[in-house]
Amino acid sequence: MSSDVRFTDFKSDKQPTWCPGCGDFGTMNGMMKALANTGNDPDNTFVVAGIGCSGKIGTYMHSYALHGVHGRALPVGTGVKMARPDIEVMVAGGDGDGYSIGAGHFVHAVRRNVDMTYVVMDNRIYGLTKGQASPTSRSDFETSTTPEGPKQPPVNPLALALASGASFIAQSFSSDAMRHAEIIEKAIEHDGFGFVNVFSPCVTFNDVDTYDYFRDNLVDLQDEDHDPNDYEAAKGVILDSDKEYQGVMYQNENSVPYHEEHGVTEDMSEIPDGAPDDAMDLVREFY
Amino acid sequence: MAEDLNWAVGGEAGDGIDSTGKIFAQALSRAGRHVFTSKDFASRIRGGYTSYKIRTSVDQVQSVVDRLDILVALTQRTIDENLDELHEGSAIIYDGERSWEAEIPDEMTAVDVPLKSLAEEAGGAIMRNIVALGAACEITGFDVEYLDEALEKRFGGKGSKIVENNKEAARVGQEYVRENYDLDHLGYNIETTDNDYVLLNGNEAIGMGALAAGCRFYAGYPITPATSIMEYLTGRIDDYGGHVVQAEDELSAINMALGAARSGARSMTATSGAGIDLMTETFGLVATSETPLVITDVQRSGPSTGMPTKQEQGDLNMALYGGHGEVPRFVVAPTSITECFWKTVEAFNLAEKYQTPVFLVSDLAMSVTEQTFPPEAFDMDEVEIDRGKLVDEDEVDEWLDAQGHFRAHAVTEDGVSPRAIPGTTDAAHMSTGLEHDELGRRTEEEDERVHQVDKRYRKVETAREQEDWDYREFGNADAENLIISWGSNEGALVEALDYLEDDGIDVRVISVPYIYPRPDLTEEIEAADDTIVVECNATGQFADVIERDVLTRVKRINKYTGVRFKADELADAITEKLSEEVPA
Ligand SMILES: Cc1ncc(C[n+]2csc(CCOP(=O)(O)OP(=O)(O)O)c2C)c(N)n1
Ligand code: SF4
Repeated sequence: MSSDVRFTDFKSDKQPTWCPGCGDFGTMNGMMKALANTGNDPDNTFVVAGIGCSGKIGTYMHSYALHGVHGRALPVGTGVKMARPDIEVMVAGGDGDGYSIGAGHFVHAVRRNVDMTYVVMDNRIYGLTKGQASPTSRSDFETSTTPEGPKQPPVNPLALALASGASFIAQSFSSDAMRHAEIIEKAIEHDGFGFVNVFSPCVTFNDVDTYDYFRDNLVDLQDEDHDPNDYEAAKGVILDSDKEYQGVMYQNENSVPYHEEHGVTEDMSEIPDGAPDDAMDLVREFY
Repeated sequence: MAEDLNWAVGGEAGDGIDSTGKIFAQALSRAGRHVFTSKDFASRIRGGYTSYKIRTSVDQVQSVVDRLDILVALTQRTIDENLDELHEGSAIIYDGERSWEAEIPDEMTAVDVPLKSLAEEAGGAIMRNIVALGAACEITGFDVEYLDEALEKRFGGKGSKIVENNKEAARVGQEYVRENYDLDHLGYNIETTDNDYVLLNGNEAIGMGALAAGCRFYAGYPITPATSIMEYLTGRIDDYGGHVVQAEDELSAINMALGAARSGARSMTATSGAGIDLMTETFGLVATSETPLVITDVQRSGPSTGMPTKQEQGDLNMALYGGHGEVPRFVVAPTSITECFWKTVEAFNLAEKYQTPVFLVSDLAMSVTEQTFPPEAFDMDEVEIDRGKLVDEDEVDEWLDAQGHFRAHAVTEDGVSPRAIPGTTDAAHMSTGLEHDELGRRTEEEDERVHQVDKRYRKVETAREQEDWDYREFGNADAENLIISWGSNEGALVEALDYLEDDGIDVRVISVPYIYPRPDLTEEIEAADDTIVVECNATGQFADVIERDVLTRVKRINKYTGVRFKADELADAITEKLSEEVPA
């Protein structure tokens, strides 16, 4: 790891095909800055991406990366971290990817508390499939598949994380570049599962949850004297459905990441040339 | 051939049938006798008929037969279920004090032992099965000290008091029979040898093979009959710096295993039927990202939840063709418990050498059957590890393009690209399920697409040439009758040879451990008058691929009752098939 890594080192030379103005640009820039600021470099970083406009992020970044199947990025990240506790793991995807098809994995990744950072680009819509309702869409949000709105309440991902025993819960806004990068940085530095829900507007298909909407409504917890170590206070802001918050809602400072809890410390990529020296003991067990 | 002894214990699930059988099998193995066990269990924890059968001989045994000499019956149903296998010389140990009135046919020897009262005398009713084992030792002239050794192994961890009580229970059972019965006329006298055997089942052999091969990461979701692989690895893998994760489902399990493999660990997942369906989503990703991964399918009876505790070899098409699009893969199917070990080692090597998913296809019969082997059958010095084109820092340069990007999917002559794992300087790259160029970046460019598809299939062609896709052979190589088999049917077939020989029928048996690629059997089939393919499924999935390979029709023996082939039954079926016309 070299100290002179700049955030642009995490940029690939592939031009993003996101729509001009898409929130994902800002989300990605913040991720790259946070990685560089926390002393990582592309060769020790693994980015796992889901499927969706958001999932394309792995292509536009430069690092070891895997772009998997829809909704399964978190298990892949878990496998990477288990095999290589020395590698910085970042998982990214959309709200459909993470809270719909991947919702089961989300709950279990949270409770496992694997030491990785999970960034969800929440645009409250399915972008890549051209504008259907997502699990975070408002109940009256009209889309091609829900002409009268989904008529069901949106998922509250922060509450889902809290209920699953999360050790770090945060939310940021992709166009608030400084704060967004800072929050991701905190998630990276957290020992355990660092979850950040990022408001990352879709300028093409969502005309409700827009930049202006977030700019006008976002409350920064930094300005509210919020103490992220205070579970009750965290519960309060997370369950407050009247406001949109930015900042670290909850952090358990005593968090012990999965690999430490389970004594997984070795680099699993190194193995002997043949069977282990004492392998005949495995056979003798069956005497 | 030395005399066989066929022993069984049966009762309700929850009666401790499995541990009773296992202890006796272990005692026989300690006494230098070969053992082959089979289990019949229902998909429930309490209630429902369960049995554990042991066939033992001083010669190797590798199949079950339709004969029972000693039966420990804890319920009337145990007797009823096994009536057709009992004979005049059979002895049935039962507890006359229990509420049921045992109905035992006159010609058999009923040995009424108050199992429960005697066990209580020795320290607790729970040991009534051990009392029965003591009684069985007396009937068979088997030295109870071997049983002591098995009890020490089983209960040693629970303290010497428990071990002593159990030994005592065996003694009282033995003495009760000695004092109350004279059974010399039955003529059972178990011969022992000085050999030291190991006793294990197919799933344990797969787990052991994985550890020998350097597997460090395993993720799985419990499912019969694959779970015991995960149970074996849990704890043991940690001794080598590895880890087992019980995932939330099979989708997660295979993706975790993929992540670990992508990061350089030898990694595996295992499941059965329903779980393979879920994992299929990720097959294509494993193959297109060229990640080395071993995926084990311990087949059980399908479709859907089917008969989850019963034998079948019905997933072959799934392993060969499962997944959308066209996915190169290897399919390896061990044919015996030792092969479960060796093919697992081979699967890890194939996966890394060719950077492909490898399906290791086993079946329920193999997974629950325990068998004895000389320990050298698992000679760890023979284990070879080949990690393929894994490049280190010094070799990266050779694989960089003009802009300094690592060509993780370089189009090479043999189809195999260099593999760099995270942490390797200057080799950071993208892996994806999308079609990609040499750098791993998405492309829909026509030529690129064709290059990558061809490259991935070229690996299989290279492997076809470089590896030994051989078969195992038994019987008479010049016989006009050819029998082809895959998976766990081999043992029963080999033993069926003896029965066929007695009837003057000469056959050649080919047992195929490789499904894809597989050996070309054209010559063998053309040389034979009659070819029969034997498998545990209804449609003959292996017979189908053989017919397609060789462009000729074969005869088929299919069993899909949920029960594995027995040697004598198979001999009869073969005799009958041979007299039939070849299908048009
Ligand atoms: C198994 C499967 N089902 C459906 C799809 C189609 N699909 C691709 S992206 C997507 C939704 C993506 O939405 P979201 O996660 O919100 O990401 P966004 O595009 O908005 O960034 C769907 C349904 C797929 N690729 N795989
Ligand atoms: S469709 Fe929406 S989410 Fe997708 S790139 Fe365009 S703006 Fe972004």
